[in-house]
Amino acid sequence: MKTRMMTALVLAVIAGAAAGCGERTPPAETPPAAAVGLKIAVIAKSSTNPVFLSARTGAQAAAKELTGKHGVPIEIAWMTPPAEDGQVQAQRIAQAVNEGASAILISCSDAGKVTGAINDAVTRGVPVMTFDSDAPESQRFAFYGVDDVKTGETVMRELAAQMRNKGAVAILAGNQNAPNLRKRVEGVKQEAARHPGIKIVDTFYHIETPQDAAAEVVRAQNANPQIQGWAMIGGWPLFTPALLKDLDPAKTRIVAVDALPAELVYVEKGLAPVLLAQPTYMWGYVSVQRIFDKVHLKQDVPEIIPMELVRVTKDNLGTWARQLKEWGFTVPVTYLEMP
Amino acid sequence: MLASQQAGLVFVILLLGATLTLLAGTHADRITGEPVNNFLNSHTLIQTATDASFFAIMAVGATVVIIAGGIDLSVGSIYALAGVAAAMVLRAHGPADGPTAVAIGLAVSLGVGLLCGTLNGIMVVWLNVHPFIITLGTMWILRGVAFVASNAESILLPAALTSVAKASLGLNESLYPVPMLTMLAVTVVGAVYLRHTVMGRHVFAVGGNAEASRFSGLSLRRIKSSVFVISGLTAGIAAFIGASFYGSASCVDATGYELYVIASAVVGGASLTGGKGSAVNAMLGALLIVLIRQSIRTLHFDQNYEWIIIGCATIVAVVLDRASASFTARRLARLAAG
Repeated sequence: MKTRMMTALVLAVIAGAAAGCGERTPPAETPPAAAVGLKIAVIAKSSTNPVFLSARTGAQAAAKELTGKHGVPIEIAWMTPPAEDGQVQAQRIAQAVNEGASAILISCSDAGKVTGAINDAVTRGVPVMTFDSDAPESQRFAFYGVDDVKTGETVMRELAAQMRNKGAVAILAGNQNAPNLRKRVEGVKQEAARHPGIKIVDTFYHIETPQDAAAEVVRAQNANPQIQGWAMIGGWPLFTPALLKDLDPAKTRIVAVDALPAELVYVEKGLAPVLLAQPTYMWGYVSVQRIFDKVHLKQDVPEIIPMELVRVTKDNLGTWARQLKEWGFTVPVTYLEMP
Repeated sequence: MLASQQAGLVFVILLLGATLTLLAGTHADRITGEPVNNFLNSHTLIQTATDASFFAIMAVGATVVIIAGGIDLSVGSIYALAGVAAAMVLRAHGPADGPTAVAIGLAVSLGVGLLCGTLNGIMVVWLNVHPFIITLGTMWILRGVAFVASNAESILLPAALTSVAKASLGLNESLYPVPMLTMLAVTVVGAVYLRHTVMGRHVFAVGGNAEASRFSGLSLRRIKSSVFVISGLTAGIAAFIGASFYGSASCVDATGYELYVIASAVVGGASLTGGKGSAVNAMLGALLIVLIRQSIRTLHFDQNYEWIIIGCATIVAVVLDRASASFTARRLARLAAG
């Protein structure tokens, strides 16, 4: 009994102590409960993915601006799971509602898993907006993100131009389970069909970490040396410099979605002459503004709010780098000094 | 001994619950405007039990395996395959009335769970390979089968299944107690099986001392294989409830859950060397782990510490359990010598 009681106490102490080690949300972002005008729960796919951290920064910036402008305190409650899991996202939606959230903003890891939870939240009076990855069958009031089929088409169109409309192309496709990525692959294939000289070798799926993605590219390239172009519907392998050594810019070209600081070296070295950036900061910034319009100002919000891709090349590398820095990213000084 | 273990777990759960109630803060009720505690409200309490129920149901089965001296790493994959199989069969079957759809979903989920558990049991016994290796292999194989079969799609289930899993049973419309009640039912059945049936006592005997059990005339092969069947069955039940509750099934469901399941059993006092464990304590272990996760989010601490906290809690529980066993052995030795 004594030992078991001691276990219990130690577990409680660990829970308390470890929680104490964590950073509590800064007071500036968490006004006292009584003063909270709007509490927006943000549930992205994974808190270890830098694109969602920039979305969080954008959401906080929008909240601060709107609070200053309208005098309504807005709290951003970050409830993103550490790893992608649709079931956990559904649980967090329920928790957000139970804890009095005024609205929920979510990027869905698995639309099927979260649709029921979104509908429950709406039934209980909490409006839900999606960004990046939608749950179109749910009762969410709006979606903000790129058109995934068009994104895939743009990737392939840019790559075909780089390859002068001929050659063998591979598609790097990330997680086969993500509906938005499937649509991008579909877009790449549709556009490739419009270029008779372009042949798709295969579509390669992988675990969405930089190392796994880079390893998959190298494996595929070694097994299919005829590959001259990579249509990457996400920029996963470009977060490591590994491919700069493994691929020759004179023989292989990459066009990828996303252009975060770690990826800019690929533009500079010419291996990825074009990156198609999703302004991920705007996921949070624009979405919080639209939620405020809907919930506080009672304005109509369009159901689909399209996000435009930004074409990043050597010509605008400096401008893009400065934009990233403004959004809170750490960017190498060399890029900031470029035109 | 069992009562004291449960008392300890209940104590720490109540302690955490009280801490959360005090520190969670309040929000205004959307309808009445009355202040509502962010933790101590019916929605959050049932939600916490619901979150724990999927681990807890599997933890009851995993505890039976652990008591017999084995380990089952494949429960998460069985969960995924059982859910995907049920969803695919229902999709192929086409429109069906509510009870038929529920019956098909339940039969397929439980059938796949039983089949996978039987497969694990047969391989462990007949190939005479350590269950860690066998279930490590089947963990990948079964998830791979789910991946190939579903083409990595998230497959929607008929609304009839969701209606069952989300039935309010006379409570407030947005309270869903079915997963929690299923967890309690499975725990009660598990506890009765382990404590009050001959087969359950045999499981303890084999895990406590396999050689002595063999000399007593027990069939080690039958007992060792049957525990994996039970574990597979509980994974099938959890898959049916989980897929029905969330309305879809995919091959990535329950990825990594095997670790939470084993952690629940171990935090609940199951000994990885066999011969010791309890279904009720496994459920309490799962509740405690989910409550720790809940506390991190409710108190707005950095949730990236979740894995560290659960890892520490598991290690501390095991170390203290071993210290307790060692202390008891020394005391018994002293008593015998005296």
